[in-house]
Amino acid sequence: MSGAGLLEKPQVIAHVQQSLNYTVFECKWVPCSARLLCLGSVPRGTGVIQLYELQSGRLSLLREIEKAKPIKCGTFGATSLQQRYLATGDFGGNLNVWNLEAPEIPVYSVKGHKEIINSIDGVGGLGIGEGAPEIVTGSRDGTVKVWDPRQKDTPVANMEPVQGESKRDCWTVAFGNAYNQEERVVCAGYDNGDIKLFDLKNMSLRWETNIKNGVCSVEFDRKDISMNKLVATSLEGKFHVFDMRTQHPTKGFASISEKAHKSTMWQVRHLPQNRDIFMTSGGAGSLHLWKYEYPAQRSKKDSEGVEMGVAGSVCLLQNVTLSTQPISSLDWSPDKRGLCVCSAFDQTVRVLIVTKLNKV
Amino acid sequence: MPLWVRDYSWRQTDSAVFLSLPMRGVRVTQANIFCTEQYLKVNVPPFLFEAILYAPIDDTSSTAKIRNETIFFTLYKKEAAMWESLVMENADKEKKQRIRENAVIKAQEKANEEEKSKAVTKREHKKYALEATMKLEEMERKRIENLKEEERKKVTEELERWKENQRNEEKQRRIQREKELHQEKKRIEEKKKQQINKPTILNAGTSKTRSIPTRTGSCGSIFSEKLKEESFPAPRSAGTIKISFTSRVFPTALRESRVAEEEEWLHKQAEAHRAMNANFSELKDLNEEEKNPDWLKDKGNKMFSTGNYLAAINAYNLAILLNNNIPVLYLNRAACHLKLRNLHKAIEDSSKALELLTPPVPDNADARVKAYVRRGTAFCQLELYAEGLLDYEAALKIDPTNKTLEQDAENIKHIIHGNAKDS
Repeated sequence: MSGAGLLEKPQVIAHVQQSLNYTVFECKWVPCSARLLCLGSVPRGTGVIQLYELQSGRLSLLREIEKAKPIKCGTFGATSLQQRYLATGDFGGNLNVWNLEAPEIPVYSVKGHKEIINSIDGVGGLGIGEGAPEIVTGSRDGTVKVWDPRQKDTPVANMEPVQGESKRDCWTVAFGNAYNQEERVVCAGYDNGDIKLFDLKNMSLRWETNIKNGVCSVEFDRKDISMNKLVATSLEGKFHVFDMRTQHPTKGFASISEKAHKSTMWQVRHLPQNRDIFMTSGGAGSLHLWKYEYPAQRSKKDSEGVEMGVAGSVCLLQNVTLSTQPISSLDWSPDKRGLCVCSAFDQTVRVLIVTKLNKV
Repeated sequence: MPLWVRDYSWRQTDSAVFLSLPMRGVRVTQANIFCTEQYLKVNVPPFLFEAILYAPIDDTSSTAKIRNETIFFTLYKKEAAMWESLVMENADKEKKQRIRENAVIKAQEKANEEEKSKAVTKREHKKYALEATMKLEEMERKRIENLKEEERKKVTEELERWKENQRNEEKQRRIQREKELHQEKKRIEEKKKQQINKPTILNAGTSKTRSIPTRTGSCGSIFSEKLKEESFPAPRSAGTIKISFTSRVFPTALRESRVAEEEEWLHKQAEAHRAMNANFSELKDLNEEEKNPDWLKDKGNKMFSTGNYLAAINAYNLAILLNNNIPVLYLNRAACHLKLRNLHKAIEDSSKALELLTPPVPDNADARVKAYVRRGTAFCQLELYAEGLLDYEAALKIDPTNKTLEQDAENIKHIIHGNAKDS
C-alpha cells in the first residue's frame, strides 16, 4: 500500500466534536453562515433548538430555545435566504415555522398530523428551485401532507390511505423535479418497504414500488432539476439508487442496490456541489461516501421497443466509523464543499471535513 | 580389508608437524579425514590410515591440504617440543581403543558446541532483522500520520479563512443595507415634510436577517425580496391522493431477514383456523355457509339471544365438529347449558374453554372471566359452593374491578358459612 495512493482518496476528518446533554434528532446548517442548528428532545420531555457557531476549532453555543414538544425534524428548504425561517415537525404532529430571531411565536403553525411527524422537507426557498415555497411532512399516521406557508390550517395536498385501510408509518419524504413553476414531485418511504412517488401537478400517484425493507430515508440528487436520481436507504443495510430519467410503464424505474454498514442505513445526503456523490450513515455509527457512475447508455429499448432506463454503478470512496451509536442525521454545508455535520444517538454532534472532493 | 597406508613421510619443527600422506588413485574429501587432539584417521576406501599422535595437537588450527594423490597435514603442536616419533609407541591395544573412543566422543562434543553457537548467532541475526523491519514500518506509519496531520491543518486553516470571508461579506451586506435604509429614511422624511401623514417609525436595520418595510406603501420597495415574493405563484389548489399500501399483517416494519419466520407464523394461524376434523359424510348435505364455524357461531349467538337455547346448542355443536380449537364456541355452549340447567355439561364446556384459553394473555382476559363465572354458577347451582367460590375468586383475580362478581362471591361465602353453622 503506497502512502500516496492512500491519500488520494477523499479523507473524512473529524474537525470538531461536541457533547450534548439531550437526545439530538436532527442537525442542520443555517444557510449562508458558519452556524448550525441541533434539534432534539431534553430528558424533561420538552423540545430544544440549539444554535451553534463554528469558531476556531470549537462549537460555541449562541442560543438555546425550548419548546413544548420534542422536535423530530426541521428544514430551511422553504424560506428565502434573507429570512431563513426554520420549519420543524414535532412529536405531537405540529408543523411550526420559526423566525429564529424572535422564536416565541411561530410564524406559521398548524397541527398537521395526529401522530409524530417523522420527516419534513421544503422546496422553493433558498434560491433553489422554482415555484411556490412548500413544505411536506410525513407522519406515523400514514399520511403525507404538503403545506404552503401562505395558506393556513389546510394542506395543499394530502396523500392519505383509502378509508378503512390499515395505515403504515411514513418514515421519510422528499421533494424533487421542481424545475419549473408547475412541476413538483414528492417521494415518500414507508415502514413496510413501500416507496411512492406523487405528482403534485396532476395530483396523482405516479409510481410505487416495494423494496422489501422499511425505508429509512429517500432523497433526490437535486430538487431543482428534472428528476435524475433517487437514493432510498432501508433497514438491513441496503440502499437502492433509482435512475429517474426513464419511466417504463410496467417496470418503473431502473435501479441498483448495494449492501453496506451491516445495520440500518439511517440517512442519505447528496453533496450540494456534486450530485453524483452522496454519503450514507449507518446504525453502527459509520459513514460511507459513495460515487455513482452513469452507464454508457442511460436508456435502452426492451423487447417490445418501449424505452426503459439503465442503472449505473456505485463505488465506495471512503468509509469511517465515528461512533458506536447510530448516526441519525447528516447535513452537508451548501456554502463550503466537504463541510458536513452529523449527529448520533450518543448525544454528540460532529463537524466533519471531507477532503479532495473536488478531485473525485 | 582396508589397506593400511604406511608409506607416509613426516618432518617437524618445534611447533608444528608436517605430514604427507600419499593416496594413489582415490579421491579424498573433507569427510574422509577425522582428526581430534591426539588421534588422526584418514579413511578413503580401500585405504586406511590411523595415527595416535605422540602428543596432543591443536586440531582447530591444524590444516589438511588435499592435493592430487597426496594429503599434506600441518599439525600445530600444543606444546612446543620435538617429538621422538609421529605416533605413540608402546601403546597396547586397549589403550589404543580407549583413545579412539575418546577421540570420537570429543569430536561429537565439539560438533554439538559448534551447532549451539551457530544457533545462537542465527537467533541474534533474526532479532536484528526484525528490529530493523519494525523501525522501517514505524517510520512509514509516522510519515503517513504526518501527511494526514498536515492535511487536517491545511483544511482547518482554509475553513477559518472561509469563515472570515463570510463574516466580512456579512458585514459588507449589513453596511450596504444600513446605507440603503438610511437613504430611504431621508427620502421619507423629505416626503413627510411635504405630506401631513403620521410620522413613520423605522427600525434602522438591527436584525441582520431582514428589514422591515415602511408603512407608507407609496414608496416603491427597494428590497428585491418583496418583489420576488409577489412573483411566486398562488398556493396550489388543494387536492387529495388516496393511496393503498402493500399489505402487511404485523404492525412492525418490514425486514427482509424476518420474512421467513413471519410467513411461518401466519401459515400456522391459517391452518389452525381451517382445521377440518369432522366426518365428511355428515357434512355432505350442508351448504357452504354452514361449513364456516364463525358463521355458525353467529347463528348460535342470535338464537341464544332470542331464547332458543336448543337450536343454539345445535349450531355450536356443528361448529365444534368443524373446528374444535375455538374456545369461544365452548364458552357460549356452556352459557346455553346453564340456561337449560344442564349443569354438568356446563361445567364440562367451561373447563374445555379454559383449557383452550391458555396462555393467559390480556387478549383473552374477559373470555376467561366469563368461563370462570359460568363454571362457578354451575357449581353453586349443584350446591357445590366451595368449588363455586374458587371459580369466582379466580374470575375476581383477573378482573378485580367487577362489582357484580364481588357481590356474588360475598353471597356464596355467606351461604357457605350458613351451611357450616347448620351442619
